[in-house]
Amino acid sequence: MLTFTSLGFLLALGAGLLLYRFCPVRARSGFLLLASYAYYCAWSAKAAAALAAATAFTFFAGRWAGDSLRPHRARIAGFGAAGVLASYLIFCKIAAVVSLPRIGRLALPLGVSYYSFKLISYLLDVYWAKIKPERRFVPFATYAAFFPQILAGPIQRPGDFLAQMPPRRTAAAEGLTRLVWGLVKKLAIADQLSPTVNYVYGHMQGLHGPALLAGFYLFPLQLYADFSGLTDIAIGAALLFGIASPENFRRPFIASTITDFWRRWHISLTSWLGDYLFTPLRMATRAMGNAGLVLSITVNTVAIGLWHGFGWGFLIFGLMHSGYLAAEALSARQRSRFFKRHPHLDGLGTWLGRVYVFHAAAIAFLFFRASNVRDAFWGLTHLLSGLASPLAGLAALSAAIDPRPLAIGLAGCVFLEFAERFRPDEWLARIAESWHPHTRRFAQAAVLAEIAIAALLLLAAATGSEKPFIYGGF
Amino acid sequence: MRTPTKPEILQTLTGIFREVLDEPSLVLREDTTAADVESWDSLNHIDLIVAVERQFGVRFTTREVTSLKNVGELADLTQAKLNA
Repeated sequence: MLTFTSLGFLLALGAGLLLYRFCPVRARSGFLLLASYAYYCAWSAKAAAALAAATAFTFFAGRWAGDSLRPHRARIAGFGAAGVLASYLIFCKIAAVVSLPRIGRLALPLGVSYYSFKLISYLLDVYWAKIKPERRFVPFATYAAFFPQILAGPIQRPGDFLAQMPPRRTAAAEGLTRLVWGLVKKLAIADQLSPTVNYVYGHMQGLHGPALLAGFYLFPLQLYADFSGLTDIAIGAALLFGIASPENFRRPFIASTITDFWRRWHISLTSWLGDYLFTPLRMATRAMGNAGLVLSITVNTVAIGLWHGFGWGFLIFGLMHSGYLAAEALSARQRSRFFKRHPHLDGLGTWLGRVYVFHAAAIAFLFFRASNVRDAFWGLTHLLSGLASPLAGLAALSAAIDPRPLAIGLAGCVFLEFAERFRPDEWLARIAESWHPHTRRFAQAAVLAEIAIAALLLLAAATGSEKPFIYGGF
Repeated sequence: MRTPTKPEILQTLTGIFREVLDEPSLVLREDTTAADVESWDSLNHIDLIVAVERQFGVRFTTREVTSLKNVGELADLTQAKLNA
């Protein structure tokens, strides 16, 4: 399969863009649909047929839901079809972990978690009259299969995507900067941290304090660089073809509550669940007061966990977050009043909050990442053991792994924190806004040259060992 | 009894939002959305809806609530329910 960091993908992307430039605007939807299916078929033609079937089914069900004058028919078409898609997704997730009679175990279809969520949101938006049913099949099918978003999102809403079809203008400089920035995050940070994290999680029972702490602190950073890097590549590639995608991350580790963390982490998934699961559930349980709130939160976070796969670790991950969110929601008023009475403690509260968020999230990620629940419990209960001789523990770790990529990855994390305050994809916009017209062109050319050099260096570094994206597996 | 006017509804909504969100100086306008008020999030959104339902003695459906775009639309919806 062509992952986004493979030379094959980047070359195909370049060739596709060249053809796209000569493609008239009215043919662009068709072009993107063909390109998306070509990409998908490179993985599996059978799975592409399933994607096409799900798309056609949703297209016609959506028209039925939107055009029906009888409310109960619209309801059956909208909710019924959404239920069918949700069942298909659940079946795929179960078949990926359990060997079913006569069928056996099935590979999870590429991007099924993303495209089924896109299609469900279309049906519910039509039923809730947020959008009109789409009449053009080609743009609709492109929405479901759009190749930059198929591997790992962002999960764009139908109204937002379809309003941009066919794309009139492309955003080459902006798209390229974003794409290279994503490659930097993936190759120079995530992939450098990955050997250490893989070693710790691969040998968890038997390791103690220092080594476990390294895995504990590094995995959230690796996952963030990996997934947000993948998102940057997806957003950048989509921009190259003229499609603006929603953002998926907003510096999650500056959040000082888990509630705020989820507004900054995998935003397109959490806002999707907020609109289509949490809010309807909360409406249905509104007479139950706080019990209804806690129930809705729990269902929502368990859904977030299980969306990644049907495993105990993901379930515990979801349940832990439901605990954090419920505790925060029930104490929100008291906390807000406390800080209003003591405004001088506000800054301290924010920083303590950040420490709490990182550790609370990292404990949940331990269950998310560990091979099994036993490993996760071992890791959690032995995190602070063997700290009497931390140097010996670290020496044992550095004997088992190559410290060079780890050092590069850690330096990369520091760089990432600074770079996210001054995002490189905003440099071009800033130059255009504030520089004198004569110097602007030179500055833009310099930035683009830098990007090209960075891309070449990254490609040189990438050839050899290619590591799959973590979120490409969901 | 006469149905309250939109500015009157907006004024009542302001009181409800101030109480539920614990923001005594909050000022609502027709185009105010959740993005404009820091403490207004998806977790307490339905608490606001429930408080509005209780205050005016009306009942909203999920479909109505999910399609609201701003405070002005909530006021319109409330007024339409009171007139029905």
